[in-house]
Amino acid sequence: MTEVIRFQILEDIQSKGQEILYPDKPRIAISMATCGLAAGAGKIYEVIKKEVKDQNLDWIITETGCIGFCQIEPLLYFHFPGKPKLFYGNLTEKKARELIKALAAGDIKQDWILWKIEDEESIINEEKYHLGKNENLKDVPLYKDYPFFAKQLKIALRNCGFIDPNSIDEYVARGGYSSFYKVINNLKSHEVIEEVKKSGLRGRGGAGFPTGLKWEMCSKEDSPIKYIICNADEGDPGAYMDRSILEGDPHSILEGMLIGAYAIGSNEGIIYVRAEYPIAIEKLRNAIKQAEGFGLLGKNILDTGFNFNIKIVKGAGAFVCGEETALIASLEGRPVDPRMRPPFPSHSGLWGKPTNINNVETWANIPPIIARGSDWYSSLGTEKSKGTKVFSLVGKIQNTGLVEVPMGISLREIIYDIGGGILEEKKFKAIQTGGPSGGCLPEDSINLPVDYDSLSEAGSIMGSGGMIVLDEDTCIVDLAKFFLGFTREESCGTCNSCREGLDASYDILNRITEGKAEISDLDLLEELSHVIIDFSLCGLGKTAPNPVLTTLRYFKDEYIAHIEEKKCPAKVCRALIHYTIIPDKCTGCGICFKLCPEEAITGKTKEPHFINSEKCIKCGICLDSCRFDAISISSGDL
Amino acid sequence: MVKLSINGQEVEVKEGQTILEAANSIGIEIPTLCYHKALSPYGACRLCVVEINHNGNIMYHTSCQFPVMEGIEVQTNTERVLKGRKIMVELMLARCPESEKIQELAEQFGVKETRFKKKDEDCILCGLCARICQERMGVGTIDFINRGIERDIKPPFETHSEICRVCGACASVCPTGARTLELKELSLREPNPILSEFNEGLAKRHPIYIPFPQSVPKIPVIDREKCIHFLLDECETCSIFCEAEAIKYDQEDEIIELDIGAIVVASGFDSFDPTAETKYGYGEFPNVITGMEFERLVSASGPTEGHIEVNGKEPTNIVFIQCVGSRDKDGNEYCSRVCCMYTAKQAHMVRDKFPDSELTIYFTDVRAFGKGFEEFYNRVQGENIIYLRRELDDTIQVVQNGNGVVVKAEGHPDIEADLVVLATGLIPREDSKELAQTLNINLSADGFFLEAHPKLRPVDTFTDGIFLAGSCQSPKDIPDTVAQASSAASRVCNILSQKELEIEATIAYVDETLCRACGFCVDACPYQAIELVRIQYLGHTTDVARVNEALCKGCGTCAAACLNGAIRQLGYTDGQILTIIKAFGEN
Amino acid sequence: MDEFEPNIIGFLCNWCSYAGADLAGTSRIQYPTNIKIIRVMCSGRIEPVFILESLKKGADGVLISGCHFGECHYKSGNYKANRRIKLLKKYLKEMGVDPNRVRFEFVSASEGHRFADVVREFVEELKKIGPISLQITP
Repeated sequence: MTEVIRFQILEDIQSKGQEILYPDKPRIAISMATCGLAAGAGKIYEVIKKEVKDQNLDWIITETGCIGFCQIEPLLYFHFPGKPKLFYGNLTEKKARELIKALAAGDIKQDWILWKIEDEESIINEEKYHLGKNENLKDVPLYKDYPFFAKQLKIALRNCGFIDPNSIDEYVARGGYSSFYKVINNLKSHEVIEEVKKSGLRGRGGAGFPTGLKWEMCSKEDSPIKYIICNADEGDPGAYMDRSILEGDPHSILEGMLIGAYAIGSNEGIIYVRAEYPIAIEKLRNAIKQAEGFGLLGKNILDTGFNFNIKIVKGAGAFVCGEETALIASLEGRPVDPRMRPPFPSHSGLWGKPTNINNVETWANIPPIIARGSDWYSSLGTEKSKGTKVFSLVGKIQNTGLVEVPMGISLREIIYDIGGGILEEKKFKAIQTGGPSGGCLPEDSINLPVDYDSLSEAGSIMGSGGMIVLDEDTCIVDLAKFFLGFTREESCGTCNSCREGLDASYDILNRITEGKAEISDLDLLEELSHVIIDFSLCGLGKTAPNPVLTTLRYFKDEYIAHIEEKKCPAKVCRALIHYTIIPDKCTGCGICFKLCPEEAITGKTKEPHFINSEKCIKCGICLDSCRFDAISISSGDL
Repeated sequence: MVKLSINGQEVEVKEGQTILEAANSIGIEIPTLCYHKALSPYGACRLCVVEINHNGNIMYHTSCQFPVMEGIEVQTNTERVLKGRKIMVELMLARCPESEKIQELAEQFGVKETRFKKKDEDCILCGLCARICQERMGVGTIDFINRGIERDIKPPFETHSEICRVCGACASVCPTGARTLELKELSLREPNPILSEFNEGLAKRHPIYIPFPQSVPKIPVIDREKCIHFLLDECETCSIFCEAEAIKYDQEDEIIELDIGAIVVASGFDSFDPTAETKYGYGEFPNVITGMEFERLVSASGPTEGHIEVNGKEPTNIVFIQCVGSRDKDGNEYCSRVCCMYTAKQAHMVRDKFPDSELTIYFTDVRAFGKGFEEFYNRVQGENIIYLRRELDDTIQVVQNGNGVVVKAEGHPDIEADLVVLATGLIPREDSKELAQTLNINLSADGFFLEAHPKLRPVDTFTDGIFLAGSCQSPKDIPDTVAQASSAASRVCNILSQKELEIEATIAYVDETLCRACGFCVDACPYQAIELVRIQYLGHTTDVARVNEALCKGCGTCAAACLNGAIRQLGYTDGQILTIIKAFGEN
Repeated sequence: MDEFEPNIIGFLCNWCSYAGADLAGTSRIQYPTNIKIIRVMCSGRIEPVFILESLKKGADGVLISGCHFGECHYKSGNYKANRRIKLLKKYLKEMGVDPNRVRFEFVSASEGHRFADVVREFVEELKKIGPISLQITP
């Protein structure tokens, strides 16, 4: 097969994909990633299918991945040939049925449209596909102007929510596999590595090790067998950017791994994915099968003599498996205990062979870097942190979802411009980045640029990209306790320092929230935290005290309030709060009286009631049930 | 070779070594707990963490795992490291507050009390047990289960393991002593500890051991019947620890041939085993022990360091029974000679340790025949020790009584006792018959070696150059043994000091004029002392038998076999014997 | 008439049986005086001729006593003696001599009692057999 013919095949697939992606008949794509399905997309898909069939419409109904704006799921887009793509969100079954009926009747339900796309861009080949214009929709914002997306730059998430993840054609239509073609036909392995090195891409799994350097180390190893591993064991609670890519764009990972394998000289690839991601596994299986069908995986790929196989291994979902050596131990069937490095996996990894492990997001970034060149990629971001990073923005924020932003963007832009500010107009208190082993940054760091080094200077980490926004109702001690509670259970338990140290830290935090601690405990907690960092082997232990240390650094007053005044300023810690009824507001309706599980509320009908604080277990049922805001919580001032 | 510095000291070590090994090689000590020379490092306890400066990059790593790297600067005792170690110990103490060994460790680190919440664990999860089981015993019965705070160390499915051999290796390395308690949780098999022969089975010993403190040579031996290496080709831990590299598993028993002039047989005796004599209840009740076991129990270097304990408590009523296995008309008829006096001594020791205890001795005849013996016997009698006489034929029976026993002796009231010491006699060694055959010496009817003459040659045997010393000849106490041994030594010197050795005069002699070289004598000679030689005789060449006089022992078998009467045994010639016959026949 | 007292010639090996007899003596063990002992170094020294000659010269019985098998001072002399005496006994029968007049026994150096017993038994047996008569009566 000559190079020309090979390219011809790719172009054939590409044009076929474009026909599917932009067909000459109406197309509806429903976001059916885990977030969409959780919001009810599955039912809506059925409803729409039925409605289209009932009305005998020759429309294409398909699925797509998550576009990132999880807040407004279930979401779909409708594309009529020659017209802009229209996005409708917050669907219900009823609303979906109504929408199809209206669309069939030629009514596009202008009020329901969230945003529109007139020109669809592909980040890979810089091509713009003009979809069409509709002069009547002047008031509907364009996708690129919509606040949630305006400041985003989607590289890793480039196809999520745009293509059908089950279709290799659609992936190719948007420039997929062209990078791999370029690599295998035109570049030598060291040139690929050089390109990745120059791009400045750093590992997106958390530690931020330069990817090109990692590849280079592994490529220099002289071994007939080398392993390429995709770490898809996304363990941070509340983080789901990897899942989104796996579900929405599985081929991007395969292509990234293919390029990596070619550069490093590996023939074996493994995707280690947690078993809790069944949809991702299904999409990956399907993608591997398709790629094999096209000769992109397997033996003698594209007749070049290059062999590469990918298999999927399901992990049992341990947070610590995100650590490279623990992941290798898990693959080898051993207990998931991280081990000492050196030897580094690039020298002696899986089964003692050189092994290169990158996480999902890193792999997904590879094809655009190759396609657009390292200069383009390194022009994005800051001096030491290049490119973009996906964050999962959650917490007390208006717009939750996945956002991909260029490095160096400020926290303020993420929270207010993309996230739309704090829920219920409450006061922003802190932002927690980097998952359970990240840190908690206070209000005055809101202008901090988001990149590896700035975050780490502030005491936090980039981590895999979790971002939890906290408002004034969050107790900072309780938050630190929550994260410690997670890491003490997820520690592998090998190091005395990590296993016992985190448990001891948790105990101190627990005593603080119960009002049983002394002020000297804060020094002990800090001392212990530093020792855990020094004395633990792996990244888990070395970062797990971060929530404690950053909160102690930025919110020490709150700790002291718990200890000295026995007061929880955020009114969260049960042992330190009291429920009372405001007599002026209480109408004596008796609802709280009936619902109280402990019979702690007494009073006569139509007269103000009282809470017996000795009986009260602070469950909050009365607070939730009162329709007159007559229940108040106080702390420390009884 | 890799060059690095530890605490400012330059050191050059082999590549692949760890920092800990490098530090140890120059005498710098780093504290460890979960490190074991024969096992792969695991880094659980974190005590050996050191500060490593690698090109200005400061790292903290466990020295037991971190491989040496060119140019790194290691500090083993910075303030930060010491503070961390102290906290590690505090955390361990918080986890296992009751473990004495952890308490000791804490004390070494100056930690008196932990500042963290105390738990109720006995295992610090160092993993030594799992590692030795897997790596050295080749089994893998136990390993870690769960993670984080739930972490534990258990057999698969947390049930009794089928593959566990109950070897106890896990218990032997456990730094907190937790494993010892849990051995029965690992397997349904009964542990089968190796009991120390020297301590009469009262203490355990290792498969590699020094037989007893005064053994000569004082060198460890490996018990091939018990050593995991010889049984299953695993372990080899001892060779890793032996810095002299003295352990050689391929060593075999060898037969060393020595040219010697004399042999002193001093093979000692066995102690009578009273198990078969069920009347004493030995082996049935833990309260009944032999005199030898009592000796180990009361020894300051014994398994209990001299504390006499039965079932975990000090006895108050002690009965000694003499003549067990001696003076028995149906068994060993002889008197063992030493039991009377050792019983008196043991009773005296008990009285010394427990002044208020009740001491009774059943005896038949106290044989206090030696110098000062009678005086000692009188002294012991004066120490409120009751001597009760019983005839040898009188019945005696030891029966159970709660946690103790009752001694029922004919003609005496029953005595309740919590310790019964049997004055077991001395018997010939089990292998003495074999040795007698090897050495060509004789056994007496009682099975001890026979002296050449009970009065006149008490040290000699019938075989020239072989002498007897000690209890292998007959039961003896130490002074008698020393006397006989000295005598044997002087008899040996007698032989060795001579320039020339007289040989038997009764050797065979061939009358070559009668010999017709039939060769019968050559076949008959048990010492290959006769061979056929070619000689010139009267101008003819002829073969004759010839006796090698140095080899001939003078048995005369050849003379009896000779067809021609050509061989004569000097001193026992046919003529001489026939003359005696003639004289005797005439009556 | 006086009771017949058999005349026994005993060939005893130096190491076992002679020592056993010596032990019987030093132990003051009583046994019949009918036996007259010829000491040889080993029972292997005993030629059949000695036995025949003894009977011919007037002995009523011949006792040959050596070490127990496996305990011979000269390794194998007692085995050789055993073979010779068994053959001789067959021959004696043909000659008209009661083979029971020749006895081969094993007595070790420690068996003083046994030696006495052996002699006693042999004397009793010979008393039953009666005196020997090899002389051709004219």
